[in-house]
Amino acid sequence: MNVPGAEEFVQPRTRRDFFKALAAASVGAAAGGMFISKKAQAQIGGTQEGDAGIFNFALTLEFLERDFYQMALDRGVLSGPALGVVTNLRNHEQAHVDAITAALLGAGATPAPKPEFTFPPESLASQAGVIQLASVLEPTGVGAYLGAGPMIQNPVFLEAAGTIAGVEGDHVVAIKNLQGIVPPANVAFESPLTKEQVLAAVAPFLGMGAMPATGGPGGA
Amino acid sequence: MDADIGRTSPVGFDQEHSRRSFLKTAAWATAAISAAGIGGFGVATRFADAQAPPNYPTYQGLGDAAILGFALQLERLEGTFYARGVDAGLFSGPALAQIATIRDHEMAHVDALAGTLASLGAPVPPPPNLTFPPGTFGDPGTFLGLAATFEPVGIGAYGGAAAALESKDLLAAALSIHNVECQHRVAINILQGILPPNNLTFEPTLPFGAVVEAVAPFGVTPG
Repeated sequence: MNVPGAEEFVQPRTRRDFFKALAAASVGAAAGGMFISKKAQAQIGGTQEGDAGIFNFALTLEFLERDFYQMALDRGVLSGPALGVVTNLRNHEQAHVDAITAALLGAGATPAPKPEFTFPPESLASQAGVIQLASVLEPTGVGAYLGAGPMIQNPVFLEAAGTIAGVEGDHVVAIKNLQGIVPPANVAFESPLTKEQVLAAVAPFLGMGAMPATGGPGGA
Repeated sequence: MDADIGRTSPVGFDQEHSRRSFLKTAAWATAAISAAGIGGFGVATRFADAQAPPNYPTYQGLGDAAILGFALQLERLEGTFYARGVDAGLFSGPALAQIATIRDHEMAHVDALAGTLASLGAPVPPPPNLTFPPGTFGDPGTFLGLAATFEPVGIGAYGGAAAALESKDLLAAALSIHNVECQHRVAINILQGILPPNNLTFEPTLPFGAVVEAVAPFGVTPG
């Protein structure tokens, strides 16, 4: 087994692999060439710097997941074990929203407002569709926390972020199990994502906030 | 200034909340205020009510090499445990696939941590002499019960030590492995038939002393 040295832990997942995964999920297939507009970037975490900016970035992702799972539950397309899993997913993301909001407010920072999200119709039309999009959202959350974690300056905030990041990892396995992937815990090391990779993954759900590029790599 | 959210518990809040709800001691408030001077927001910060006190201060006197060395011993404990579980023939089919994969992950963590220590020029502790309670490998239920206690210890250790690490590269490594240990915990839940298996809202960190105490009976010491 290829054993990474310390420096390899910080190597983000290659763009090719990440966008291949997105394309396989039939979501954001154009994301490889997507121009992330300033408006979209501002919608994700506002324009604050430092720890507040990072926590607002995380807050936006938690809002995204919370809203998606709430919509999925409201549609009534889930049953059996999937219903239990997604109910907990929604509850957890809500608690994460609350915790991150409290941390920001307690520190005198302003929580970013929740954007309006739009999800592909097929992702809410069936249990399989819900699970499929969840299988993209949760690893994006893991990658976001692992990418942002080393940049958090306040150790109290860093430890708090870890307690949330770990649960996103929990979610990844619960979803793989629903997908029938055996074994569901099948990754020895999890990978960070850059902010740009995370933005590319979630921009499609911000509606008019992003536009396809005419060519070349994405960027703003 | 307190941020009193005043929220009610979400529907279906898991058992972890009731354990955490009493944690409003002065200790973490003091830690948070002293931590605020380090950087970031510059004002006193605190966790939301559902969070535990920060535990990273209990790892701060150790140094990165000692933290990694202890993590290495924890991974050796887990890797040996899962390897013996496979070798005892306790599992078959998908359960065996999962247990064997967890073993492989822990062994990969062992190799990575040992390699990192060596590349830092730090001493690599010798493998511990491990002992497990009688009957550990006698039946799947007993084995999985012990697995269910091991994973939270590793999760709590990585989660607590992360913010005490000085190197940002090592922090990235710790976050990566921490996430995988969380994934293992849920995988063990699945094997134990716990539904839904994603049953924690936050993955708790542990203070250093609690981790030391938890693994001492198996022959693991910080060294």
